[in-house]
Amino acid sequence: MRNRVREQRTQREMSQAELAAALGVSRQTVISIESGRYLPSLPLAFTIARFFGLTVDKMFDPDVEEAGT
Amino acid sequence: MTAFIRPRLRKPLGIALAGTAFAAAWALRGGDAWQLSIAMEVTVLVSAITTYVRAGEDNDEGALAGSRADERQKLLSLRSRALGWNFAMVAAFIGVTAGVAVKATWWWPFLVILAVGAFAYLLGLSNYGVAEEGTADDADTSPQVRSPAS
Repeated sequence: MRNRVREQRTQREMSQAELAAALGVSRQTVISIESGRYLPSLPLAFTIARFFGLTVDKMFDPDVEEAGT
Repeated sequence: MTAFIRPRLRKPLGIALAGTAFAAAWALRGGDAWQLSIAMEVTVLVSAITTYVRAGEDNDEGALAGSRADERQKLLSLRSRALGWNFAMVAAFIGVTAGVAVKATWWWPFLVILAVGAFAYLLGLSNYGVAEEGTADDADTSPQVRSPAS
């Protein structure tokens, strides 16, 4: 599953640590989500989508497979 | 129960308390090897201090040691504990099977471990809602309308 977390974060010129603090998760979890190695829970997916002002299906694209997901 | 203890202190304190209890039991046991309890206590305290230091690190291990894990880190810990449980059960099964095969007297502690593991697993299924999935919303008991195809 592809996601747009990295794209949205870099557009806002945020660091991974800043995004992690805003979402209430660790920096390592933001890295894992961005790389597609970890699929967030539904509540966290909503939190991420709302943070960036997008819907969950705009933030996470289930039609694209990534290695490790 | 541990809410009043600072998260970073929880695991180090747990290690210190459990280790001290075991070292004290060893000392109470007496005999020639009672001095080992001192070495055990030193090792326990070093482990507790090491865990406290690691709990301050900015990585997954630090988050787990510092009791501040997020959902991914909790999942990692949960999966690791499940793997540990699987290994313990396999080891206990091998132990009880080997013990029975050689007519040893030490086979029953392995059986106890297997029984405790099995009980804990069933308790987990019960506690975490395996029987609470509810009924399907199409499980209506009223007379069914026959499908035109049937």
